[in-house]
Amino acid sequence: MVTNLLIVEDDESIRTSMRLSLEDEGNEISEADSGEKAVDIFNNANISFDLVIIDIMLPGMNGFDCCKEIRKHSSVPIIIVTARADTNDVVTGLEAGADDYITKPFEPKELSARIRALLRRSRTSEGTSSTLLIGDIEILPDAGEVKRGNEEIHLTRTEFLLLCELASNPGKVLSREHLLEKVWSYDYFGDGRLVDVHVRRLRTKIERDPANPDHVLTVRGLGYKLVV
Amino acid sequence: MKQDPRRKRIRITRLFRRRKIAELPPSKIIIDIGPDQNPGWASKSFILSKFHALAKITVDIANLARRASHVIYKTSTTDDKQPPMVSRRRRGGSVGNRPTSRRGKFKQSRFHIPLGLKNRVTLVFSAGALVLSLALAALTYITTSHSIMNQETSSLLSVAYDNAFTAKRDLQGPHPYINFQYSSKKLNRHIATVIPNLLDEITADPLTGADSLVYVSSIWYHYPTTFTSHDLPHGLLTMVKNGVPAEQYFTYQGEPHLAIGIPIPLSGALYVGVFNLSDTAATLHILFVTLLLAGIATTLAGAFLGRWAAGRALRPLAAVSRAAQDIASGKPKTRLATTDVSDLTVLAASFNTMVDKLQERIERDARFTSDVSHELRSPLTTLATSLSVLETRRNEMSERSQKALDLLSGEVKRFQRMVSDLLEISKMDAGAAELVPDEVAIDELITKAVDLFSQNKVPVVIGEKACSLRILAEKRRIERVIANLLENADRYAGGATGVLVDVNAGFVRVSVEDNGPGIAPQDREHIFERFSRGSQIAGNRGATSGTGLGLALVQEHIKLHKGRVFVTEAKSGGACFVFEIPIDIHSSNSHKKDRSQGKEKHDL
Repeated sequence: MVTNLLIVEDDESIRTSMRLSLEDEGNEISEADSGEKAVDIFNNANISFDLVIIDIMLPGMNGFDCCKEIRKHSSVPIIIVTARADTNDVVTGLEAGADDYITKPFEPKELSARIRALLRRSRTSEGTSSTLLIGDIEILPDAGEVKRGNEEIHLTRTEFLLLCELASNPGKVLSREHLLEKVWSYDYFGDGRLVDVHVRRLRTKIERDPANPDHVLTVRGLGYKLVV
Repeated sequence: MKQDPRRKRIRITRLFRRRKIAELPPSKIIIDIGPDQNPGWASKSFILSKFHALAKITVDIANLARRASHVIYKTSTTDDKQPPMVSRRRRGGSVGNRPTSRRGKFKQSRFHIPLGLKNRVTLVFSAGALVLSLALAALTYITTSHSIMNQETSSLLSVAYDNAFTAKRDLQGPHPYINFQYSSKKLNRHIATVIPNLLDEITADPLTGADSLVYVSSIWYHYPTTFTSHDLPHGLLTMVKNGVPAEQYFTYQGEPHLAIGIPIPLSGALYVGVFNLSDTAATLHILFVTLLLAGIATTLAGAFLGRWAAGRALRPLAAVSRAAQDIASGKPKTRLATTDVSDLTVLAASFNTMVDKLQERIERDARFTSDVSHELRSPLTTLATSLSVLETRRNEMSERSQKALDLLSGEVKRFQRMVSDLLEISKMDAGAAELVPDEVAIDELITKAVDLFSQNKVPVVIGEKACSLRILAEKRRIERVIANLLENADRYAGGATGVLVDVNAGFVRVSVEDNGPGIAPQDREHIFERFSRGSQIAGNRGATSGTGLGLALVQEHIKLHKGRVFVTEAKSGGACFVFEIPIDIHSSNSHKKDRSQGKEKHDL
């Protein structure tokens, strides 16, 4: 099955080399050299993209806005390319809706490993198929939907998988590493911030008061647990 | 005749980088201030381009200057061929030679005892106070005791004369005409009736306090309990018997006494009054003790005053030295507070300007490193990605091309690591690196990291106390440390032979041992410096060599954990790299907080 990737990167050399490298892996590549073009291509092209790679430093509309714009209508996996792993860029990017990030200069192998992990995960999703209930929230793993009453809550793929993982182990403390492995399919190169930011985003969507969560609780120094 | 400033700078920074300054024989420290005649801070600042080096040198110069004549400021750039001593002598009066005169001063004081300035001032003050108070006390004692004795003597004299008059009156009897023309029998009878009353009268008065003796008709009359004529000083008696009134101090039974003898104009009769002076002596003794105590108190007060004054006067110096030390210990925002004391405003202003300029320069340097590294990232990404495209087509290439490709990809990988190491280290330099600790099981973390980075080749031994020990640490950084130490062992010692995790005095201690040639003792400290490579492997550089930053980063990561890293000798003779991080990081957390709060002011 052919994977459609969209690369948003203003540096032509990097873009071309990424295209060459990723095409070798059997992907179909579309390119955009600005955030505006990327949103245009994503929304209007006749292709359903499986994954988007966005560089943060773009002229005009920056990577964060581009990410947000795409997120408005889609839960496609997004990887952002940041300048430095330590700056707020990572957190801002993840807050903007990205599923993962990679830092320049990156190893092409690492990038393709992350792409594979995200794609694998979003295709072979559902392990449990029965409906899960957390308070007034209903999770339908088969349909990939989350509902409060009759109202559907829109979650990204990552948030959804995170919620499913937590909900299938109610009351049990799950470490960040465990969640990285289960949700992101990462064996090793994970960053606790990935989990933290996504948990925060999940809370803003499912908790009535995200500042004082009722369901997704932090266990200091250990990880997270879900209480019904 | 301007010298190329770059050349000089390189010389100086190299000196700093090797940290030789403390080890050089003192006479060799030459601080080249540059071509300008006025060595203002602005021109110095370009030389002292590292904060830590600056503070170190400040302290070093202070130490050296205190010890002796080792610091030579040199403004000359024209006569480089001549030894600095000569050039300095020739430029005897120039501005830069201020320290030279100081040098002369130190040379003069040959028997110079190493005393602090404060102690010296204290000593001078207390010596002055001692001399002054002793002189005052002596003067006071002499004049006071004189006047007391005079007063005492004159009052006793009047008592004695009163008594003598009474004796004369009584002996004469009620009738003035009765005199000593009586027959001796009659006279004796008269005396016998008069004497008891007389003795009562002139002895018993408690106010006068006199022991009285009366000599009449060759017989001494007195109370049996008091003095006899034998107890009196002989010379006095002789004088009085010759008709001359006399007084004499003498000691009887250890107590001071005054004897006053007065002839009574009745056929050789005498009166002698003896007064006990021990009360007066006691008074004088008290006076003496009081003055002595006052003297001691004055001396102490002088010493105290001296100490306080010295402390007050030296406070700016102390503030400067404290500020320098603070800067050295990682608080680059420390400044001296401005003051309205005119002598000190210049000092504070120049110090602050100097530190500002230095900070600016260091920040610029750090920014430069970080900017360069950032700019390198994009081409590097293209390089790496393009290389991976080539790698997949490896089999289509000739053997020569493959070899070239291997070289290329090896170097690109090294380049990549170097850039990310540089980025990491410039972040540390900028103080932007922050520890994000998590509670981790240290044994598990180390074991996992070692297994991962050594492909399960290196055995890990966990000490009993370190088993399942949970501490606060940043996983990523500890993993980086392990990776770098293992890589280092791989590169220079044929791989690590074992990793030991144990607990030592509140610290988790992790040792990475290898079987290699070991690190020479003189290299052990320098090995953690940036781009330092052991002497024996110099020249052995190629695609497989490291970035030169691995161990420096190890040190920085461990410092962030408030731990330390060092290298010793393994039992096998190889090197043993040890790092220790505190089990309870919060017990030593204050330093970090200080640093993040930033600005500090030291009052002058």
